Amino acid sequence: MQNYTVYVPRLTPKKEPFAPGHRACVGCGEALAVRLACKAFPPNTIVANATGCMEVISSQYPMTAWRVPWMHALFENAASVASGIEAALKALTRKDKRPDNGTKVVAMAGDGGTSDIGLQALSGALERGHDLLYICFDNEAYMNTGIQRSSATPFGAWTTTSPDGRESIGQKTWKKNMAAIAAAHDIPYVATACHSYPHDLMAKVAKGIAVPGPAYIHVLSVCPTGWRSAPDLSVRLGRLAVETGVFPLYEIENGEYKMSLELSTLRPLQDYLKLQGRFRHLSDDTIKEIQERVIKEYERIKERAR
Amino acid sequence: MVTLTIDGRTVQAEEGAMALDVAQEKGIYIPTLCAHESVTPYGACRLCLVEVKTAAGRERLVTSCLYPVEEGLEVITNSERILRNRQTIIDLLLARCPESTVIQDMARELGVEKSSYHPEDHGNCILCALCVRACQEVVGVSAISLVNRGVEREMAIPFFDDSTACIACGSCSYICPTSAITMEDSGGVRTIRMPNNETEFEMVPCKVCGNYWMPRKQVDYISRTKGIEPEFFDLCTTCRD
Repeated sequence: MQNYTVYVPRLTPKKEPFAPGHRACVGCGEALAVRLACKAFPPNTIVANATGCMEVISSQYPMTAWRVPWMHALFENAASVASGIEAALKALTRKDKRPDNGTKVVAMAGDGGTSDIGLQALSGALERGHDLLYICFDNEAYMNTGIQRSSATPFGAWTTTSPDGRESIGQKTWKKNMAAIAAAHDIPYVATACHSYPHDLMAKVAKGIAVPGPAYIHVLSVCPTGWRSAPDLSVRLGRLAVETGVFPLYEIENGEYKMSLELSTLRPLQDYLKLQGRFRHLSDDTIKEIQERVIKEYERIKERAR
Repeated sequence: MVTLTIDGRTVQAEEGAMALDVAQEKGIYIPTLCAHESVTPYGACRLCLVEVKTAAGRERLVTSCLYPVEEGLEVITNSERILRNRQTIIDLLLARCPESTVIQDMARELGVEKSSYHPEDHGNCILCALCVRACQEVVGVSAISLVNRGVEREMAIPFFDDSTACIACGSCSYICPTSAITMEDSGGVRTIRMPNNETEFEMVPCKVCGNYWMPRKQVDYISRTKGIEPEFFDLCTTCRD
């Protein structure tokens, strides 16, 4: 990843397909991630959006924050709707009903809409080989409905359905590795990104749209409301998640792993956990256990990228 | 506001806006390589050629990135004549940069599979001056420029050798449409590779985490021009409170 500071941001696209004035919480990392992703869209792009925070905050009747053609799907079928759009465009072009103007299709969903409820629709779309980009904005729980756990919630995290207490340390299972699941479909492009690395995120979205065939991008988006963190720390938390190795940034192109950010040393996990209220109850032993697992997972991906 | 037609569509636009910008805003595609919203138009690649007919009846071919719209203007963006001209231009660019994937894609899009000229590999630079304009107008240091004329024209730092003015920000590599300039960070050294030279710059490590996060020359430049203490850059953005 190129480490651009200060000057290059002045050269990024000035268009705002995701308009300001939406109703996201203060410090919402997901809104930032969506805004950046939209900046990387080519001129003709259609978005299919699953139910979730982004749909609720951006499209309250009678207003909308979307300046691109945008379709709200059900919780589970963003990938199916996107494949339908793509197939329809292809059919209309074949029948000479519309010119082939390079229209691209993007599906967006949260971690619940991707790794729990929408997994089979996503798997189907990837397997059928539609030319679309699927972006998962992962804020690690069902934040929109009130912070219920999802399969993307990390081990030890408090949520309203995985509370901490005498009998429980919070979420009892480890985070589902969605990028590996997507990569297992043998699709041309899979990547992980984070809004705290804006140029990397934009480059990956542009690349994902450009590749022929399906592409999947997993974006970690910090949620101050659900993570119980200060809203002004959202960007820093994203950076810490990457620098501690909790959420490594990498690309998988045709099965080849490539690290986006080479870290010589990982930061101690505690730097990342201590800023979030959802990990406040963790004992030193549990933190040590998580730290070991994080390093193991990070080394495994690094090994694959070699 | 003025009223004009683009490909038969009547559109309203701000007087003085460039025809290319108006067309793009209305969703009408015109191929281009050297236009960028952050810098002034320059008209280097010539691919954005369109036919215009003024209200007075004057007809000609112009580069749309440099043509301000006016009342009653008729613009045609995709006639046979325009396509022929664009094909010649991309044919010449393809002969100059046969290895560039961006040029290859654009050529394919315009219906040119193989250059009809004898290809001479000049690297990936198409002399569009986007890097030069960004360095001058956006960064404000003018560390690079286009030198010489005609067939000897090339993009270079002063005397092909002197990178004193460069602050290693990487804007040139970011804006380059054909990746002729690349930037790479590794182990405290930033390398910027240009068609004619390669320069290494020292990076500043963060005092807390030790990650290299900014070039030394950029720290010097910002503290000199903006009056910020150099100590401000001791900590990276992640470690700063």
